[in-house]
This record gives sequence, structure tokens and C-alpha cells, in this order.
Amino acid sequence: MFNELDPILHSQLRLSIVSILMTVDEANFTFIQETTKAAAGNVSIQIRKLQDAGYVKVKKTFKNNYPNTTLSITSKGMKAFEDYVNNLKKYINPKE
Amino acid sequence: MDEKHLTPEESLLLITKTIEETKKRFEENGHIIILWGTLTFIVFLSQYVLVFLGLYKIFDIMWTCILFPLGGIYTFIYVRRKVQKENIPTTIIGRIIGTMGWVFGLNLMILGFLFGHQLDKAAAPIFLILFALFMIMTGVSLKFKPLTIGGILLNLIGFGTFLINTDYYGLSMMIGSVVGLIIPGILLNRADRKENV
Repeated sequence: MFNELDPILHSQLRLSIVSILMTVDEANFTFIQETTKAAAGNVSIQIRKLQDAGYVKVKKTFKNNYPNTTLSITSKGMKAFEDYVNNLKKYINPKE
Repeated sequence: MDEKHLTPEESLLLITKTIEETKKRFEENGHIIILWGTLTFIVFLSQYVLVFLGLYKIFDIMWTCILFPLGGIYTFIYVRRKVQKENIPTTIIGRIIGTMGWVFGLNLMILGFLFGHQLDKAAAPIFLILFALFMIMTGVSLKFKPLTIGGILLNLIGFGTFLINTDYYGLSMMIGSVVGLIIPGILLNRADRKENV
């Protein structure tokens, strides 16, 4: 029996964003945009969805008089990512 | 990045690729390690030259007091600019290595300038051993063997220095800086360049 994959994470850009945040303590918006090579507007929309789901924490500050948005993963986000990866493994190798 | 329906295989591949890409962005390039190895080498080589010229007492402390703090200032500016320019994110390993670097550096400076006379002959081997500990820990954290091996060799040179005549302490520091800092730093730099091609 397969568990349904988390629809919040089962999207190319949102999955990339969460994967980045699983690797670092926190990253700023520019880093995420450069790494994912996605459009700023699209990244913003997906971050909002992840934030609404409680998977990421967004901190807005100023750096050298410019707005600086920093993101980090929440414990709920970490758990969701772990569950997502475990479910993926079951899909790929059902015998495991 | 266009949105499309992902198969489980594609999802796993995407996760792996993104994590690899993220790690690449904040890899160390060995620049600072080479700098400190070269500074140490120059300072101790210059001591030999100054002794040879009979100017040791006049210039030695001045030379050391200028070069090492300059290295510290350069390191501070380089790290700060790199983080700001390349939007480098914070990581646990990065924070540990960074903090360790500053703590080791400050302790070496304080030991050298304020308590050097109390350490007397033990100063050179103690400095080598402290450098070695930092290199071993950095090598293990970055999972980069040449740094760890360089650190272990530096550690052995440090203990070996206790066994030789004080006249050769400078030579020991020079060999230590080449084996434990400059060579591993160059290898780290090469590894970083290869991965970024």
C-alpha cells in the first residue's frame, strides 16, 4: 500500500527549495533563486505556499539598506521532507 | 524552473542534484590556509636571514607584529566579502570551522604576543601543535583527506620539535607550514577548481 506523496512537497520548485534548506542552517532569497535558477516571482509564490504549510520560516531584515529575506526550515518541514523521501523510496522499491 | 509532474525517480534525482549544487556553492577553496602557511613560512625564513645579517633583534618582533595582524585583517575582510558577495548561506560545519578559526587565531596571537616569554622554548612546538589540531578538525569536517593528513604530519612535526635543538625551531616551523598548510591548501584549491569546471 502506497502512502500519498505530500502535495506541498511534490512540486519541482518547492522540493528544490526544501532540499536546499535541508542542507543549510539558513539561506537568503538570492541564494535560493540562483541555485534553483527560477524566476523571482515564482520563487516568492512557492515560498509563500511552504510558509503557509508551516514548512519554512521567513525572516525579513535589511542588509546594507536593502531588504534581505532569509529562510530556514522548521521542524514540521524537516519531518515532512523525511516522510516524503521515505514514501518515495517505497514507490521506487516496494519490497523494502 | 518549469512546474511539471514528477515521477518518484525524478523527485529523488532532483533532491540529490539540488543538495549537490547547494554544497558546491559554499565549498572552501584553501585560499586562507595557503595564506597562513605562506605567512608563517616567510616570518620564519626571514628570521634566519635576519640572524645571518645580524639584524635579528631589531627587526624580528616588528616583522612578526606586522605580518600576522595583517594576515588577520585580510582574513576578516576576505571572509566577510565572500559571504556577502556570493550570498553564502550559513551551515553548521561552516559556523564550526569559522568559530574554530577565530578562536585558534586569537589564542595564538595572545599566546605569542602576551605570554610568549613564559612559553619560552616551548612556544614553537606548541604553536605547531595548535595549528595541527585546527587542520585535523577542519579536514575531518570538510571530509578532505589531504587536510587531515597534513594536520597529522604537522602534529608529529610539533612533537618532534621538542626533541631538536632550539636553533632548528625556525626550520621546523617552515617545514610544518609547507607540509601542514601550504600543500594541503593548494590541493583543496585544486579540488575546488575541478568541481567548479
